[in-house]
Amino acid sequence: MEFPTEIVGEKGYIHITSDLDTEVAGEALRSAFNEIFDQGTRTIVLDLSGAQIINSYGIGKVLSCYQRLKAERGVLMVKPLNGFVKETFELLMLDKLLPIEK
Amino acid sequence: MQLSRPHILLADSDAKSHEVFRSFFERRGWDLEIATDASNLGQALETSVFDIVIADATMPGMSPSMLLGHVFRKRPGQALIVMGESASSENGFKLLRSGVTDVITKPVDFTWLERCVEQAISCRRQDEREKQTYAFVTCEQTEMQFSCKQLGEVQAISLPILRRLLDSQQITDTEALKIRLAVQEAVLNAVEHGNLELESRWKEEMHAGGLDKFSQIRRERLADPSFANRSVKLSSTFNGETLEISIRDEGRGFLNTQQASVPQAQNLSCSGRGMTLMTNAVDEVRFSLNGSEVTLVKYLTKQGS
Repeated sequence: MEFPTEIVGEKGYIHITSDLDTEVAGEALRSAFNEIFDQGTRTIVLDLSGAQIINSYGIGKVLSCYQRLKAERGVLMVKPLNGFVKETFELLMLDKLLPIEK
Repeated sequence: MQLSRPHILLADSDAKSHEVFRSFFERRGWDLEIATDASNLGQALETSVFDIVIADATMPGMSPSMLLGHVFRKRPGQALIVMGESASSENGFKLLRSGVTDVITKPVDFTWLERCVEQAISCRRQDEREKQTYAFVTCEQTEMQFSCKQLGEVQAISLPILRRLLDSQQITDTEALKIRLAVQEAVLNAVEHGNLELESRWKEEMHAGGLDKFSQIRRERLADPSFANRSVKLSSTFNGETLEISIRDEGRGFLNTQQASVPQAQNLSCSGRGMTLMTNAVDEVRFSLNGSEVTLVKYLTKQGS
């Protein structure tokens, strides 16, 4: 499994195209993140519109990305969220932690 | 239960096609209705239920997307075969992603069409039988057992009871997603903390490339038969009002020290959210056997009550 990435200007985008609830999906996120991070991009946007569900494992992987960026004064953002993924972010107050890219 | 003859709707404006299709389907004893334009098609879908609709994508005054909208608005989930003059792989792929059963080109290969129709009808009839059977079920109990190795390989566990409760409208889509998430969390705990004896604090110890110590040891233990062969048992019981799903591992237990924490925006830890997700999804979370068994309880009420 691979998640498509793109760099537009100073921002890197990771398009999550499946549920973020398995080790395979978590590894795909780490790999996509490394691809952008290793090119020096320090503002990374997660597009979670392709995920219907995110569990604690997936959230752990997202926060791992957040911590790596924060350590280098970078920013992890998310595209506007929808549905159950939005509800999960709000329940865990991650919406207060990760800014929304307008 | 006697199944009726397959009932098929052909939407095509070409009179020559009507005769060819009619002769083909009548030889097989299948019922065929014909709609020659958008208005006929809409009317037929409103008044009858069809096993499958076969529609020409080039009917005058109706683009393929209009055709799909027409069919799926009236009959969500309708089995639909779209015929085109030259269905390119790109267009065909788009149509399939839009929920179409199959895409075929003209002139029609009737051997292929027959196979498509039989397959679609068989799937539809199977769904109908399952729904009808489940309408009479007042109690159901299932048990499943997986090794950690198997659970490491499957993408996600699918609980058949959730699909059936959704089909019988006893739970909503969101409730089904929440229960699925709670089961995932419980299974994850059973595998990682119960059977593989992994410690959450290892998630914070990061190696190069963002690989944490937890993931690294997880892989090692999944390759070690003394850990990987330990099992997780899932049992679900539904008595018509209450759904109980128990997940039991072969670990030493943890005495229920992991309580649902109040979420905080400043909580940057990579772990510790599973309990919050579980307690939010179901009505009760019970621990037993020293914490090596967790039971998720959901009380079901009829929709709209």
